[in-house]
Amino acid sequence: MSDTASSRLLSGRSLAMAGGLVVVGLLPLAAGASPYMLGLLISSLILAGLGLSWALLGNLGGMVSFGHAAFFGVGSYASALLAAKLGVPVLLAIPLAGGVATLSSLAMLPALRLSGPYFALAILAYAQIFRILATEASWLTGGAAGLQRFPGLPTVFGFNFAERHGSYVLVLGMVVLCALIYVVIRRSYVGIALRAIAESEDATRVVGVNSTLLKTWMLMLSAFIAGMFGALNAHIIGFLEPDYAFSGIWSVMPIIGAVFGGYRSVIGPVFGAVVIYMFDQVIAKSLIPVGHQILLGIVLAGMVLLAPNGLAGLVGRIFSRTGGKHHARA
Amino acid sequence: MTELILQALFSGVLIGSVYALVALGLALAFGAMRIINLAHGELVLLAAYMAYLVESRTGLEPYAAIPLALAVVSAVSIALFMLVNMIRDHRELNSLILTFAIGIILTNAILLAFASDMRTTTSAFLQDAVSFGDVYAMRGEIIAFALSLVLMGLLWWWLKASWYGRAVRAVSSNRGAAMLMGINPTRIETVSFLVAGALASFAGVALYTMSVVQPAVGHALTVKAFIITVLAGVGSIPGVFLGAVLLGVTEALTVTLASSALQELAGMVLFLMVLFLMPNGLFGARARRG
Repeated sequence: MSDTASSRLLSGRSLAMAGGLVVVGLLPLAAGASPYMLGLLISSLILAGLGLSWALLGNLGGMVSFGHAAFFGVGSYASALLAAKLGVPVLLAIPLAGGVATLSSLAMLPALRLSGPYFALAILAYAQIFRILATEASWLTGGAAGLQRFPGLPTVFGFNFAERHGSYVLVLGMVVLCALIYVVIRRSYVGIALRAIAESEDATRVVGVNSTLLKTWMLMLSAFIAGMFGALNAHIIGFLEPDYAFSGIWSVMPIIGAVFGGYRSVIGPVFGAVVIYMFDQVIAKSLIPVGHQILLGIVLAGMVLLAPNGLAGLVGRIFSRTGGKHHARA
Repeated sequence: MTELILQALFSGVLIGSVYALVALGLALAFGAMRIINLAHGELVLLAAYMAYLVESRTGLEPYAAIPLALAVVSAVSIALFMLVNMIRDHRELNSLILTFAIGIILTNAILLAFASDMRTTTSAFLQDAVSFGDVYAMRGEIIAFALSLVLMGLLWWWLKASWYGRAVRAVSSNRGAAMLMGINPTRIETVSFLVAGALASFAGVALYTMSVVQPAVGHALTVKAFIITVLAGVGSIPGVFLGAVLLGVTEALTVTLASSALQELAGMVLFLMVLFLMPNGLFGARARRG
């Protein structure tokens, strides 16, 4: 790829966005956040990564998934097992786990032919099936009792990733990296073609775009990212059981976060996941200990009805009203 | 072993008839508005908890809760319809997310009001065993089965013979043409959601008398209803009934022959197999590809 092409793909604006994310992300460290707070922020960033992978599929691929827990769970088990049983270094096991999640997404290729609700529910079925398989294959996964003895994050060049600050920096870095990948794809030929598919799949096929192939790539990439964050989470938490790794939470929270933040933007799902998770854990849980998700449901319904493009859309609207240039991007 | 299999088949048919009621409600709303109501299972759950409320407070038989369930569930169903109707852009996608959110709200509202304990009827009359040769059922199951058949018959008659029923079919087959014929689609969609709510009310009360309910059941019911519409297509009532019975029997046989842990897996595998191998459903429904 030529220099001009790559500079078009990674414009100054998106690099500034990445830099901004890093700066904002490092603020809690600079402010000396407590280990408890850092733990919450790490979990929220895991969800932010998962939200990015969901939005990638939903926005670019035009496919709503109600089963991202499938990829998340596969990734977490793959990484834990690779590290524990084969002795793969953890930092290598994490991308490999992303690869395993991608492989598992190949089983879903027939679902790509399905539209809207049928695709969404087919993916949900996969998540359920994977959860039950993980429970039943106890020789490999430890079954319902779970998996406990697998390595945590390592220390590299004296930098301890297993410790809260280290984990936080690692997860933050991964989120920023995935956001940049998302930006690059959205600006590329593939992104343009995918946006055209969202407008009219038939018309796009007529001009020679292989829409099924492009959707396949988006599904695989989305699975890869979700799997990596599942793996990261597994090594940070240090414990896995099927009901946790394949929990509906991993399917639901990214949707709420992405819709809240604005799933048509790149920054929206990241910001949305962090805000929604912190709101849920810090505010909702203290108000309503059992059933606190009712507040998330209300937020989700309210956003879809009042601001379907999320906070990012709202901010965009305000800027365009005050005279600033705003280019709506699909 | 033969008796066990016969028993599983029998129980599967009985529970399948209630699944059919749930799925028909989902299919009606889908037919009218082309949206999948992901909160439909929660409507059924709400009715089941109304039955629990009436039974535990008054000591009456659960079926005495039907009027209350009808009132509450229909009201929620109409509110849901009005919310969905507020969506302007990306209707298909946003309505999925919206009804999903309403499902979360309803599940947690029920959790808050009734706690997460499993509930079922305490009525001795409904729990009495009835034998048919080698196979057994609770009286509640038989009543629920009969009720489901009657309701399906009524629905069939309503869709075929009544003005409103025919208008529902007209709107679902061609909205524009129906409008030109002087049918107000919004009014017809409201009626569809009302009838879907009524079916959910009966299904919920019936479910409470023959099975255990807890807040998480709502979501599972939505998924089951969706699986059934995939098996049957949304076209015909007998198709939905057969699809529902197929799902009920598959689940019951899995529990008998393998383990109860695999019950959900069986339904999901059946769902995916039909989706991929027979994309038009077992009984040749309309296409579902984008």
